[in-house]
Amino acid sequence: LKDDAKKSPVRTSQNAPTPFQILYFKYATAISTIPSSTSILTTALILTMSLSLQPGGSSTRAPPTGTLSAPGNAVTTRPITTGTSVLGIKYRDGVMLAADTLCSYGSLAKYKNARRLLPVNSRTLIGGSGEYSDLQAIDDLLRRNALEDRCTADSLYEEENDAEDCAKEVWSYLRAVMYNRRSKMNPLWNDIVVAGFRQNDDGSTSEEPFLGIVDKIGTAYEDDILATGFGGYIALPLMREKYRPDMEEGEARALLEDSLRILFYRDCRALNRVQIAKVTRDGGVLVSDPYELDTYWDFKGFVTNKGEMGTDGGW
Amino acid sequence: RRKISSKKLQSRNQTPTSPNPHATTMTSFLSATAAVRSRNGEKCLPIHNSEGGATISVSFDGQNLAIGTGKYPTASYHDDVGIDHGITQAPWERRFSPYEFNGGTTLAISGKDYAVVAADTRLSSGYEILSRNISKLHPLTEKCVLGSAGCKTDVDQLRSVLDIKMKVYAHNHRKPMATPSVAQMLGNTLYYKRFFPYYAFNVLAGVDSEGKGAVYSYDAIGSFERTPFSASGSGQSFLIPLMDNVISHKNRLDEKRDLEAEEVVEIVKDAFITAGERDIYTGDAVEIMIIRSDGIQKELFQLKAD
Repeated sequence: LKDDAKKSPVRTSQNAPTPFQILYFKYATAISTIPSSTSILTTALILTMSLSLQPGGSSTRAPPTGTLSAPGNAVTTRPITTGTSVLGIKYRDGVMLAADTLCSYGSLAKYKNARRLLPVNSRTLIGGSGEYSDLQAIDDLLRRNALEDRCTADSLYEEENDAEDCAKEVWSYLRAVMYNRRSKMNPLWNDIVVAGFRQNDDGSTSEEPFLGIVDKIGTAYEDDILATGFGGYIALPLMREKYRPDMEEGEARALLEDSLRILFYRDCRALNRVQIAKVTRDGGVLVSDPYELDTYWDFKGFVTNKGEMGTDGGW
Repeated sequence: RRKISSKKLQSRNQTPTSPNPHATTMTSFLSATAAVRSRNGEKCLPIHNSEGGATISVSFDGQNLAIGTGKYPTASYHDDVGIDHGITQAPWERRFSPYEFNGGTTLAISGKDYAVVAADTRLSSGYEILSRNISKLHPLTEKCVLGSAGCKTDVDQLRSVLDIKMKVYAHNHRKPMATPSVAQMLGNTLYYKRFFPYYAFNVLAGVDSEGKGAVYSYDAIGSFERTPFSASGSGQSFLIPLMDNVISHKNRLDEKRDLEAEEVVEIVKDAFITAGERDIYTGDAVEIMIIRSDGIQKELFQLKAD
């Protein structure tokens, strides 16, 4: 068995196949070389040995430390510091996003002034839920791209060329990034909403607003109203009910605020301190400062024991 | 193909002597076999739904092989749960899966000089509807349309890869690819990712070089066959028996006759109403395309939104 493990060729880090490919290769070859009379013990041992991928033979291998690839390349297994729902809605003048400013550390409401709605360039806005550090990494990445675009553009004057990525480009790019990471089994644990405008074929900003979403495995789609996480269950049905294609800014904002308020009532990891952001044709990207929503806790349903309310019960 | 000896391991059926629950090392043969068994039952991608227990395990994390701690779901061997991915089982936190089942059903029927392909427009995740108007049909050439259900991100990636290959072919051969060639290429593309598959259940519909309707069915790793009709996705179990009777004319006493494209479209609409009634992932609307040698006609038919 030791020889079997040692037989795998030594690979340099540059041309190393992905851990998956090595693993499957070993898996497949290991299984195919077992004669049918071999005991289950050896099967299991071969499997376990082939699971740690360090070169040098089984005798030099440390016990699996909980990572798949070589030491130092840990993968994301679960989100630690998380943001909850992000809501997005198209309206007459553009697109509006809303999110609260809470980052939870499990059940601890740790950071109550975190920014989850982030401008990427002068005409694109992203909102992220899920792991906050991954959101910051995505923000760095997108702003670095935006900076490079500006630096390598033909003209230093923004108006003279549309070198900046429009929202749809950012969305497509982000989808490729997320897919790539999930294919390495090391996802960026986020659901990202991208808001802005489309781009015409000649490069100018289109009149048509764009609202799209990318999730942690790269599922990407666009729609008139979007929500991530809990918002999909609580806010999205309400928004679908009330949505009209040519809503005024005030209406859209009221709808989003109501949805955030209801999320605060019902989502354990939500907060009533919220931020709204919008992208408009003329005004570019605008992100509000955080502010508190008023909440009302005297609903009979919140106060009275359900059993005493004369309804069928529940809690 | 020899299955990973899950059945053999399972017959031992012993509870592992669980050592220190926080240890991530293999400390005994029993915990090793139990770990392999649980991982074989957990998050496996079915090669083909009708193949019973044939699965390939696609989540390789190598960590925490000592089980029985109660921390992670210890999956029991379940027959062909297939595309559940822990939605209804193991409601506590589980490991990252690169796949997600986004639902949907596709149907393709070939005729004398046409092919009809249809797919619903619902995108789901678990019990949630993410969007009601996402297209699952993708024209690859003017005579050939690919319909895919399964995991949307893999479907999108597969389409991008195919589009690039189609472009390269057209560039090199100075003509668009013929439908049987597309069929073969799709099969090869899927098999290329044999050990980390595209979670896409495809049907390919089009007209071949002679102008006859052609429909090909696929599984997730690229085995394919030209068939008179094909259905795939979550609603396939509701559509295939119906098509067996109506299209293949099985178990009927009346005379079989060639159907016109318009008749087939009506059958397709009824079929999707049927599937939408019982399958939660099918609904909202059906996008129907009729492919003929002279072009593609499209229609959108509304379904129930529940």
